[in-house]
Amino acid sequence: MLQTKMNHYDVIVIGGGATGAGTARDCAMRGLKTLLVERKDFTAGATGRNHGLLHSGARYAVTDQESASECISENMILRRIARHCVEETGGLFITLPEDDLSYQAKFVESCQAAGINAEVLDPKEAIRMEPSVNPDIIGAVRVPDGAVDPFRLTTANVVDARLHGADIITYNEVVGFVKNQNRLEGVNLRHIRTGAESTYYADVIINACGIWGAHVAELAGVKINMFPAKGALLIFGHRVNSVVINRCRKPADADILVPGDTISLIGTTSSRIPYDEIDKNEVTPEEVDVLLREGSRLAPVLANTRILRAYSGVRPLVAADNDPSGRSISRGIVCLDHAERDGLEGFITITGGKLMTYRLMAEWATDLACKKLGRTAHCLTAKTPLPGSEQTESPKRKHIIELSTEQKAAEGRHGTMSRYISSHNANDDALVCECEQVSVGEINYAIENLHVHNLINLRRRTRMGMGTCQGELCACRAAGLLGKANGCAERTLSDLSSFLNERWKGMYPIAWGETLAEIQFTSWLYNGVCGINQMVTPNKD
Amino acid sequence: MKYETIIIGGGLSGLLSGIALARAGRKVAIISAGQSALHFSSGSFELIDSEDNPLAAIAQMPSTHPYQTIGLDAVKRYAEAVPALFAEAGVEVSGSVEKNHYRITPIGMAKSAWLTLGDYATLDNATTLPWRKVAIVNFDGYLDFYPKFLDNFFAKRGVDTVHHTLTLAEFEHLRESATEMRATNIARIMTGDLLSKIATELRGRIGDAEVVFMPAVFGMFDAEAVSALRSQVRVPLYFIPTMPASVPGVRTQIQLKNYFQKLGGVYLLGDNVCGGEIRDNKLISVRTANHGDMEFHADNFILASGSFFSHGLIASQEHIYEPIFGLDIVADQARSEWYNQDLYAHQPYMGYGVVTDERLRCRLAGKTVENLYAAGSVLANQNPIAEGTGGGVAITTALFVADQIINA
Repeated sequence: MLQTKMNHYDVIVIGGGATGAGTARDCAMRGLKTLLVERKDFTAGATGRNHGLLHSGARYAVTDQESASECISENMILRRIARHCVEETGGLFITLPEDDLSYQAKFVESCQAAGINAEVLDPKEAIRMEPSVNPDIIGAVRVPDGAVDPFRLTTANVVDARLHGADIITYNEVVGFVKNQNRLEGVNLRHIRTGAESTYYADVIINACGIWGAHVAELAGVKINMFPAKGALLIFGHRVNSVVINRCRKPADADILVPGDTISLIGTTSSRIPYDEIDKNEVTPEEVDVLLREGSRLAPVLANTRILRAYSGVRPLVAADNDPSGRSISRGIVCLDHAERDGLEGFITITGGKLMTYRLMAEWATDLACKKLGRTAHCLTAKTPLPGSEQTESPKRKHIIELSTEQKAAEGRHGTMSRYISSHNANDDALVCECEQVSVGEINYAIENLHVHNLINLRRRTRMGMGTCQGELCACRAAGLLGKANGCAERTLSDLSSFLNERWKGMYPIAWGETLAEIQFTSWLYNGVCGINQMVTPNKD
Repeated sequence: MKYETIIIGGGLSGLLSGIALARAGRKVAIISAGQSALHFSSGSFELIDSEDNPLAAIAQMPSTHPYQTIGLDAVKRYAEAVPALFAEAGVEVSGSVEKNHYRITPIGMAKSAWLTLGDYATLDNATTLPWRKVAIVNFDGYLDFYPKFLDNFFAKRGVDTVHHTLTLAEFEHLRESATEMRATNIARIMTGDLLSKIATELRGRIGDAEVVFMPAVFGMFDAEAVSALRSQVRVPLYFIPTMPASVPGVRTQIQLKNYFQKLGGVYLLGDNVCGGEIRDNKLISVRTANHGDMEFHADNFILASGSFFSHGLIASQEHIYEPIFGLDIVADQARSEWYNQDLYAHQPYMGYGVVTDERLRCRLAGKTVENLYAAGSVLANQNPIAEGTGGGVAITTALFVADQIINA
């Protein structure tokens, strides 16, 4: 393809996770002509596969002061710029009889050194604050933890990047680079379903692909030493706790319980996996057992609470350049200028870090891109609210009672953007997903505005199918609406079959009790009654 | 309380064995926890998913399959008796043991079936249809019917479609709530004048369409609404199953239950059998959640409690068990063996269930419980969904165990 004004950008950002979306937003806000490309869907990698914890940084205070300080600073920023994605739940660090209480003093001291407001509570006070906590606790510290919805956060960054002129391409994988001597000049893309190839050019290319960044760097001819660390988590069927519960000890397996939206999450485990398994996202029965056993120590009721799903993500841990063995692994942010490091011009890698620091990572990467481009615009993302989180002068309504449950749910999910969702008529207000209160209006809003190509995209944008029935009853309804919008029944049906299989993927590791009963019902309905198994099931998410 | 036979479970198996016993003059009680698979059914019953002669296909099944346990002759005999038995209960079905027909699924697939309720179209084959133009009619705001997918079904078979959406003032009240436009709620108001109004609308709209397809939201308690509507429209009118609850399925359950009660059977709804006393290889009595200390005694018992989804089997984090008596079952030990990671592949858990002797009597700790029979999906070594045998096994094993008791 010829290089034209149309396909030439200042910056191409590769990777549709929080970091990539945040970087595209930052670049676009600084006036750079920006293209964001993603292999699958936004949040399909580690962004959509973590705790959704708005870290106070307390977890890292003792072991990594730098990360702790970054976390608390970003924590305070996200509360301002991403109000609709954040829940200010507060957090507890509890000490159990089997833990060393003397760790608490060191913990509090380290938190204070990092600027984290840590307050020692009487255990009785902590139990009053969070009744689900293990009543045997012998110590408790309150910290400013919270919950953040990574799907909403990423979507809001994408929407804002677009509002600032960025172009967005999903379902296109980078299969190679255009290289001119020691300079990267463009990316070769291939559509993962149709196989259609295309080329886009840019002065600077930013690799924001998380763990997949090692592969993308390799395509560019440079080596980054990455160590994939898998973390598994469990989602419980309802909100067990209202305050984040952590264990006050050195970070270990299953020691964080986060309330998020309608559910609670326990995690994580941590295990090294081979690089060729980073797309598998499997959860083993052993991991489930560990999560349940340790989780029940935080909140005993978990032992008898229905589990909705198990899932896992892969942390992009990066080894220092002088340590190929990976012994000195950093959990901090890694921003590589490949011109300096490898003599390759026009290429930046931003990786490491964590969901909490996505904005700061974006800022670093964009600063470097601006430097390379000779631009002087400053970063505004720490101050400018994301779409949906703007402080509105006049409240939209006087009384909360004027809104129906699904309208309140939509406002929770889309913030002020929910004003664009059609409502107040019987057609738009009808519920598609009863578990999560997603209306026809919200589904159509997402289809039209939020880069929705299939049911999994739709789930990530709206929570449709994330509830107790795991899409059993709403998937078909949503498929009906999606099929109407895209005009292709065959594609939508094959999409429906993939969607159900993807739901099962999170269910089989916990396939006992009501989960097994539910999936038998789902099979009865979709295979037996509907015959969906006659459709081919391409693997895509 | 004392009965000759107590049946645990009020689904298709429980009801049919109850009806057979009551017809033979036996004093029978059914204890039912509530809903059954019928409430979510397609409106068709499958004997086995096969393009050839179904009985020939059954003859090829593994020797442990419930069909093989009761024997090919019994399967044939009971299957042939079913349409007449259904008719007695007011349930109209068409179909034959000799050859499967096809039905149209909610998402526009052709699936083979043995018996199909009168509401639905039955097709001789999956690929060619007897129509050139069909009308697909939905109600405004009804989300559990998918005209686009049906359109796809007909288009693939070279049939033209026209679409209509009826907006009815009578639905306004339902639609005030965001969750009320569901099949059974709609069926409740589908009576008299509204049916005439719909018929008038259809007559004005269908033009040269040879046949009309609508969502199956007619006739909750009997099929009167279906025949009333049909009698007022000049072309054939067929229905397409909806997502749950299934109106024709609920109706079938109600009709079978009513017939069972008419025959003198006692139907205890909303109670759970939670245990029983087994002495000298015989079940003496059962206890229920609602009746506490008051035991139910009987000479014979039938376990028709269903599979996991009806809680006839329970999977815990550690193991799988039959929850009422702790009967001997077929199931793998390790949790990782219970399932396949592909939802559409063979799922081992589907084949789990209670083991029986050749007369379908259950076993406890290796010994036959002489007066406890099992029927339907609680039986081991079947895969109702993959084999397309769910309805057939439920029906034939139910009639088989009823005969075991009658002829004992």
